Amino acid sequence: MSELELALTNLGRELDYPETPDLAGAVRERLAEGPQPAVWRRPVVIALAALLVAVAAVMAVPQARSQVLDWLGIGSVTLHYVDDLPKIEGRQEFELGARVPIAEARERAQFPVLLPTLDGLERPAVYYRGDIGMVSLLYGTEDEPRLLVSEIVSPGAIDKLLTSQTDVEPVRSGEWSGAWLSGGQHILFLPVQDQMLRLVGSVLVVHNSSTTVRIEAAVSKDEALRILRSLK
Amino acid sequence: MVGRPLTEAELVERARRGDQDAYGELVHAYQGIAFRTAYLLTGNAAEAEDAAQEGFVKAFYALRRFRRGAELRPWLLRIVANEARNRRRSAGRRGKLALRAAAAVPSGGAAPSPEHSLLDAERSRRLVAALNDLRDEEREVVACRYLLELSEDETAETLDLRKGTVKSRLSRALAHLRERMEVDDV
Repeated sequence: MSELELALTNLGRELDYPETPDLAGAVRERLAEGPQPAVWRRPVVIALAALLVAVAAVMAVPQARSQVLDWLGIGSVTLHYVDDLPKIEGRQEFELGARVPIAEARERAQFPVLLPTLDGLERPAVYYRGDIGMVSLLYGTEDEPRLLVSEIVSPGAIDKLLTSQTDVEPVRSGEWSGAWLSGGQHILFLPVQDQMLRLVGSVLVVHNSSTTVRIEAAVSKDEALRILRSLK
Repeated sequence: MVGRPLTEAELVERARRGDQDAYGELVHAYQGIAFRTAYLLTGNAAEAEDAAQEGFVKAFYALRRFRRGAELRPWLLRIVANEARNRRRSAGRRGKLALRAAAAVPSGGAAPSPEHSLLDAERSRRLVAALNDLRDEEREVVACRYLLELSEDETAETLDLRKGTVKSRLSRALAHLRERMEVDDV
């Protein structure tokens, strides 16, 4: 360790920090109050109640049952229907995390990260976001992305808010099942960050027994499914 | 009969199942380092307290996403650090270190001479000033790695960076600090 590094370490030990407050007590009190609903949750509850009435009718049809349940939760992504999307102030960006080599992403994510193998696709920029354990493959640039493939294994990591203007079409391809979301706007909510992002455009959200995959691109459903089937 | 204290892994398992007392013990164990981390990132005691408290609450509800067998401390610190940085950005200010060195007391041996104490205090003051001249991203890695004495791996996880990025930022930050300290010596 150099003299400067030693001086910094010593400085850290000599610093006059404010006294640590009783966080344990405060956190216990907060937890005892139960989870605080985010601003959008009330309309969600109302909308879900209405949806469940509709679901109850559909559930009488055995084939439809599994599809409806899939719509409400697709692996790490949960879909919520709302009457109106909440307003989001300012520009929000979906943080992909740190750019890393693919080998490091695989090591840190600890799941087998899949890559699209379609002809003509260049090597993607790979990002790892630790707080939700997500690996993203970006084709194009951050300013002008052409294709974004996100893979995630954590349950409950992402919520999506939809209105009736967004079409949600159940899809199934091999081991993958999920939905193609198109039309209108939808909002992506990251509970761990209390962050909401307004998205425009179509997205394919599917999962298999272990992994949830989101494919966002200005492509048709069939093209998105081709990308999905090429994942290796 | 008094049972043995629960291990961290056992406390995590209980907390994951909703046991708030078990989680309270974990918060108690890590509240010091979490608060200091938030304080170094926000530069404000009240915001640091809010950020650490909010981070711990969010972490409780996110425990189901905590990977079994992983290190809990950096996982918690990452959530707290994220909260602290968001608050700093919302406030639209840089994360300057609102720090002062405590009266330097050597870890062993005789009390220092008054001249020696003055020199130490002056050197610490200059080092804090030099740290405050760094870019936020460089100061953050220095704060985590040296002031908080986190390992490189923990620094990377706390700041959600790859280890190589931590190394390169540290290298740049140390070079800038050396330059600044040399200029002051002239």
